[in-house]
Amino acid sequence: MTPLLHYDAVEACYGHAQILHGTSFSVDKGASVAILGRNGVGKTTVVNTLFGIARLTGGTIRLAGKPLTRPRPYSAARAGVSVVIQGRGILQNLTVRENLLLGAATRRRGPWNLQRVYELYPVLQERADAPGTALSGGQQQMLALGRGLMANPDLLVLDEPSEGLAPVIVDELAVVLNRLRAEGTTILLIEQNLSLVERVAEDFFVLSKGRIVDQGKIAATGRAELQKHIAI
Amino acid sequence: MLIQCLNGLVYGALLFSLASGLALMFGLRRIVNFSHGALYMLGAYLGYSIATKLGFWPALVLSALALAGLGALLDAAVFRPLQDRDPLIILLVTFGLALIAEDVVQTIWGNDTHSLAMPALLAGIVELPGSSFPVYRIAIIAFGLLVAGGLSLWLKFSRVGLFVRAASFNPTLAAIQGVDTDRVSLMVVAVGAALAGASGVVAAPILSLAPSMAADILVDSFIVVVVGGLGSLTGAFITALILGQINVLGIVFAPEFTALLPFVIMVGVLIWKPTGLAGNRV
Repeated sequence: MTPLLHYDAVEACYGHAQILHGTSFSVDKGASVAILGRNGVGKTTVVNTLFGIARLTGGTIRLAGKPLTRPRPYSAARAGVSVVIQGRGILQNLTVRENLLLGAATRRRGPWNLQRVYELYPVLQERADAPGTALSGGQQQMLALGRGLMANPDLLVLDEPSEGLAPVIVDELAVVLNRLRAEGTTILLIEQNLSLVERVAEDFFVLSKGRIVDQGKIAATGRAELQKHIAI
Repeated sequence: MLIQCLNGLVYGALLFSLASGLALMFGLRRIVNFSHGALYMLGAYLGYSIATKLGFWPALVLSALALAGLGALLDAAVFRPLQDRDPLIILLVTFGLALIAEDVVQTIWGNDTHSLAMPALLAGIVELPGSSFPVYRIAIIAFGLLVAGGLSLWLKFSRVGLFVRAASFNPTLAAIQGVDTDRVSLMVVAVGAALAGASGVVAAPILSLAPSMAADILVDSFIVVVVGGLGSLTGAFITALILGQINVLGIVFAPEFTALLPFVIMVGVLIWKPTGLAGNRV
């Protein structure tokens, strides 16, 4: 089966600083995959390369078998990739509703629309006209995830979604992500919170100095082994 | 006094309709476009030539459309390739383009001043208590309000307006949501150029057409954009109205300080509030 996302010996840089040195991994359709690694090893650059924010200088990225020769931020989104970026990226000059509508910029058809996101997170409907950044941290994470879903993505990428969230909110996030996966959404999770990783991801890849150095099944790997990969 | 205030509103409306494009372009592309005054001048001259054959209204529409096309070309050929370069390079390139445009105007239309006849529909006079005021000048105020209202509605309620607001705040974030920021920017620069062109045609019946007209209004437009808050339409609107009053009332009450006052206000506002009056984007 053709993987939904495939990185083959990907090299990427910001300016002259090379961050990825031949990164290779695959995410199958319907899978839930985590990328683990210490701070500064290039996890976010994996996402940024897909969206053309980091410059692809070598190797190939394929989305559903099609190579992204010159990734642009909007081309990945239009190809069905939605990202919840680190820090959530809520636009303060837009209301909650407008932030959600921005997520539908690609006009991809699918089960998600404004009403369904409101059903998932009723608080977003209650605060629909408030500025996006007026929400609490947990609510902003709901907004970021809701915005990602508005794109009806084939692949949902989440970069450190649990950052700054209370454990109870992380628990709720895990429930929602598992529900999405059960509905067929493919998930790529970049995360240091092992509690979330263990509940959401099935497979993992370990990134170190811009290369994948280990991979395996979450269920078959002990907490101590996983912890070793993310210890600062 | 009432007449002077109305004349201040006329100049403020013209300033806003020109500066709004400048503010939008800065908000989205982060560029300081020194050729914006040249777009206004080209619009006026083009309108003059078209009006001599087809009349004022076709000149207004066709000139705005032609300038929209020129703006799209400017974005694709200059702004987009240079957007990640040193801002000083864009500033110098657009300054060079302004000089080229001035030369082109001198070559085609000469150095003599020209004037464009106002449309017959707006040629009357309105009687006010103790004086009278030209209908055409009231129409210019209405034009400025129309531009302000139209842009506000477009930005607030349209899908593209949402994209413009998002991209002006964080272009990368807007793009990863699937917004083609290059296309949105092209549209905004085209709209800004069209407004500059239309402003030139609208101004032509009350101002003389001369190659220096670009520089004359460009400085005030920059003050409007900077004092209003770079990229902010609301700030630009308020500042344009204030600057219009200062310009006209200054000539009456303190002519020796009129040229200086806008700069003093700009420096004062920037010291008090470095982000400008509105301090946010579109």
